[in-house]
Amino acid sequence: MSLGTHHGGRGGGVQEDVGEIVAVADRVRGAIETVIEGKPEVLRLTLTVLLAEGHLLIEDVPGVGKTMLAKALGRAVDCSVQRVQFTPDLLPSDITGVSVYHQDRREFEFNPGPVFANIVLGDEINRASPKTQAALLECMAERQVSVDGQTRALERPFMVVATQNPADMEGTYALPEAQRDRFMARVSVGYPAPQAELDMIDSHGSRSPLEDLRPVTDAAQLRELVDRVRSVHVAPGMRRYVVDLVNATRTSPELRLGASPRATLHLVRAARAYAALDGRHYVVPDDVQALAVPVLAHRLLPGPEAQMERLTPEQIVAKLVARLPVPGPQ
Amino acid sequence: MPLACLVCLVMALPPLDPLVRGGTWWVPAFVMMVAVAGVSALYRLSGRGSLAVPFLQLLVAAFLVTPLFAGHVAPLGLVPNGDVLAHLGMALEQGAQTIDGNAPPVSSSAGVTLIIALCLTVFMMAADFLAVTARCPGMVGVLVLALMAVPLVLHDTGLSWLAAAGCAVGFLLLLAADTGVRSREWGMPAPGGQDSSARAWGAVRRAATVSLALAAAVLLALTVPLALPWLRTDAFHAMADGTYIGTGSDVITTTHPLVSLRRELASSSDRTVLTYRTDAERPDYLRTYVLDEFDGVNWTMTPVNASRDTRVDGELPLPTGWGSVPSQETVSTRIWLDSDAPPVDFLPLPYWARTVQVSGEWYADPGSLMVFTTSSPPTGLGFSVETVDRVPAPEDLADSGEPRSLPGDFRNLPRDLDPRVRELAEALTEDARSPYERAVALQDYFTGGAFTYDLSPPAVPGGSDPLAHFLLEDRVGYCEQFAGAMAVMARQVDIPARVAVGYTAGERMGDGRWAVSAGDAHAWPELYFEGTGWVRFEPTPASSGGQGSASVPEYTRGAQEDGAGSPDGAVEEDPAAGVTEAPERPDGSREADEAESDQAPSESGEPEDEPSASAAAPDGDGRAGSGLAWLPAAAAVAGGLLLSALPALVRALVRWSRTAALASGAAGSAHTAWRELRDTCLDLGGTWTLAESPRATATRLAGSGAAPEAAPGRMGLMSGAVREPVPEEAAAALWRLALAEEAARYAPSPTEPEALRQDLETARAGLAATVRPGARVRAVLLPRSLAPWNRPRPVPDPEPVTS
Repeated sequence: MSLGTHHGGRGGGVQEDVGEIVAVADRVRGAIETVIEGKPEVLRLTLTVLLAEGHLLIEDVPGVGKTMLAKALGRAVDCSVQRVQFTPDLLPSDITGVSVYHQDRREFEFNPGPVFANIVLGDEINRASPKTQAALLECMAERQVSVDGQTRALERPFMVVATQNPADMEGTYALPEAQRDRFMARVSVGYPAPQAELDMIDSHGSRSPLEDLRPVTDAAQLRELVDRVRSVHVAPGMRRYVVDLVNATRTSPELRLGASPRATLHLVRAARAYAALDGRHYVVPDDVQALAVPVLAHRLLPGPEAQMERLTPEQIVAKLVARLPVPGPQ
Repeated sequence: MPLACLVCLVMALPPLDPLVRGGTWWVPAFVMMVAVAGVSALYRLSGRGSLAVPFLQLLVAAFLVTPLFAGHVAPLGLVPNGDVLAHLGMALEQGAQTIDGNAPPVSSSAGVTLIIALCLTVFMMAADFLAVTARCPGMVGVLVLALMAVPLVLHDTGLSWLAAAGCAVGFLLLLAADTGVRSREWGMPAPGGQDSSARAWGAVRRAATVSLALAAAVLLALTVPLALPWLRTDAFHAMADGTYIGTGSDVITTTHPLVSLRRELASSSDRTVLTYRTDAERPDYLRTYVLDEFDGVNWTMTPVNASRDTRVDGELPLPTGWGSVPSQETVSTRIWLDSDAPPVDFLPLPYWARTVQVSGEWYADPGSLMVFTTSSPPTGLGFSVETVDRVPAPEDLADSGEPRSLPGDFRNLPRDLDPRVRELAEALTEDARSPYERAVALQDYFTGGAFTYDLSPPAVPGGSDPLAHFLLEDRVGYCEQFAGAMAVMARQVDIPARVAVGYTAGERMGDGRWAVSAGDAHAWPELYFEGTGWVRFEPTPASSGGQGSASVPEYTRGAQEDGAGSPDGAVEEDPAAGVTEAPERPDGSREADEAESDQAPSESGEPEDEPSASAAAPDGDGRAGSGLAWLPAAAAVAGGLLLSALPALVRALVRWSRTAALASGAAGSAHTAWRELRDTCLDLGGTWTLAESPRATATRLAGSGAAPEAAPGRMGLMSGAVREPVPEEAAAALWRLALAEEAARYAPSPTEPEALRQDLETARAGLAATVRPGARVRAVLLPRSLAPWNRPRPVPDPEPVTS
């Protein structure tokens, strides 16, 4: 996609908005890259989810920088960042906050939990009990917290970056489908390339580069950018394309569970953000194609035949994408 | 689908109709077909698969046979028992005998109907299996063709175009039904989504492609055999010569006698057609056809009828106007048709045959004593014939008066006949006192030397009457012209006349038999004399300068000395025409022939080479060949070149129209440029998939060029593919084209990009540089993009999971 970033502007108000998005995103990207090296695609996806107001699920083996990525993002954007380390004994109130009786004032006082932040880092989310997981996921979907009959809205932008170890690791509670569905995208960081790892030794040797990270944008600007992303054009053919793609996951004989309508919305929103990050004010099939696996795959359950053939949902989605005709000229 | 099969097969029934007499033969067959198709349709509706369908169909057919064919012997008309089986067996046997023993149309007896019904039931089951169970409805076409082939093979009139069209329509309906079912099963109509003008343009292009392919096929089929002599078969070109004579159901169609005569004379003349052994000292000609109607240009045959009354059963009927046979003496002749010769549907017989012993179904025409068959005759037939032994005496002929015992039809002539012919005939017969003398005078005129015998006479100039041209202008022809002209002139002078076509007596072989070869094919006039009957005359020059084995009848010889025109006189009178023609001696015996044969070489110094009958065929062919052979060949080459250049031309036209559209800056220019890029890529052998977005396509093309996709990891191993990235500027142009197309497709208000035309040219040149020169040449000559099946098409959705 290196060529894609050279796409020149064409004037017009929308185009300038998009240009600002690109500029801000480049700054954020540059900042994070001082911490996490050699993962441009992961960074791009993270920014996409941020701009699309989604939540990100980072799934990988321990120690590849999942938490570092989330932290770096929180630092690069000047906004509130909270981190929750999920453990089996974590309670729902540890996340949402709790009303404490104030002896002096003789009233209950609400102590907001870590969820009241712009970026919430949920570490090892699958180590918590399902009940606690559910508490966080409810906040993610509704963007509000109800405690003791009082509903409190969460801040904007609100993004949960959850990390989890692969589901089959010891002492984990796999997220149920319904809860995985609330994450806009799932990404796996993967091991760094050898050269990146070498650089990492140098940069992380003396002191953590995270501490040098200065914010390059703030929550207010981010809110504005998010609003602008919503105005990115999705042609009728492209909408149809997204629906066809999601529908294909539902009709594919290789999948036991297809993607939900929520997935359709997520895919369109993510595609808008992805296009904006590319400096375009309209969505092209390439956006959808690039996002199909991260946005759809974690919601799908392979059918028995696919399991026998050891086909992962990622491979199945890639196959569907390779088969679906892109929208032609209108 | 089973019902579509039913419709398809029912539409193929009408061609069978001429084969069976009686209108109700199809009813039981139809009932059984409907039942079989209905069983299939109902059972399949129940959704239980198709394994049991054939068995159910068999069961139903077996139950239906009893009430339909053996209802009167079965208890309650329904229950099959031993009697029923025996009855059906008998009916089958009887039907088979009927079909074997009779020429079509056969009568629709119970047995025949049963056989037809059973066959059609089996066909229906097969069609159902092929179209529905095996999902190959195209294969049902084989069944339809098989049904159509039956009348084509068995019946002389073949297949009417209406019936053939019906078959075709039925088959197309079946295919359409299958397409409909298929697209419904896929859950999605055929690819559409384009606007109507694009669809119409696509349809026009498809139609143009199909018609071009058809035209090419027809053109090649016609020109290749013309250009390649060894591919020339009579069978192919004979199709154009078939003449349909008469109307009605029981009529005979045969190749026009004169056409077959011409073909035989022109063919290798040594091929033996038949041999015969006879009692006669000087055997007469063998007559096959009688042509008794003259339309001003051609002699044709009155339709002959095959009916029960005219069936040959030993004795032949007496000719019209004869109460008894003039002489009881008979000559018997045994004739063997050569097994290599094509079968004949008219028997060559000497005149006047009284009895014919021949196996098979033959009919006689009482007027002309032609013996013919309506079924396909066997080759190598042998038969015996007894003829009335009569040698007309010149005196009897001379004494015969007005022909009263014959209808006047034999003197009919078209009104618009050239008056000069009548003047000529009257001038020639001025001095003659009786019909006989007039006839002899006419014959002498032809044999007198003024005419030249040539198997390939010069073409008659357009617009002129062939008869008058032959008689008055060039006087060159062969037996057909001689016989026809003499018959016409005889009618002019009130002698009933007709033209007979057949063979001369042939040559005597060592063992006493006579051999008749194709070169002995002949035509001659028959004139009618009251009291004697039809008498053969011979106006065609005989021996080496004419029809080799022709002989002038004895009975015209005696009178010839005191006839009107002497041969020598004719030569002197008309020295300019046909001087090389040796005058026909009235006593033209074998010795005389030989003498003339000796004479011929001395005269062959003449500029006009006179071909003998036997030499004429190859010579004539050769002359026509040397003059014209290169013409079809050149036409074929030119046509072939044009045809092979056609795809390139069409492709160039498409490209030109697109470039023009780009240059004029018409709307949608990005799409136009992108389509042209797609076609270029396809032409060069590259792949193009609809699931690939424009920029992905551009990236791929920029990386690997238009070379065909290799399997991953085997880059560069594909034969013929040179995989190298396109040049920088071409890659950039590709990218710009892709972005323009992308914006045109997906952007809310795309701005018209500039310089698409230059980008397109650069990209095309860049792509072409990535393939081998051979592929480039092929891209120009055989552009794959023209073929609709090479176009990328949407992959149908996978079938929904029904669980």
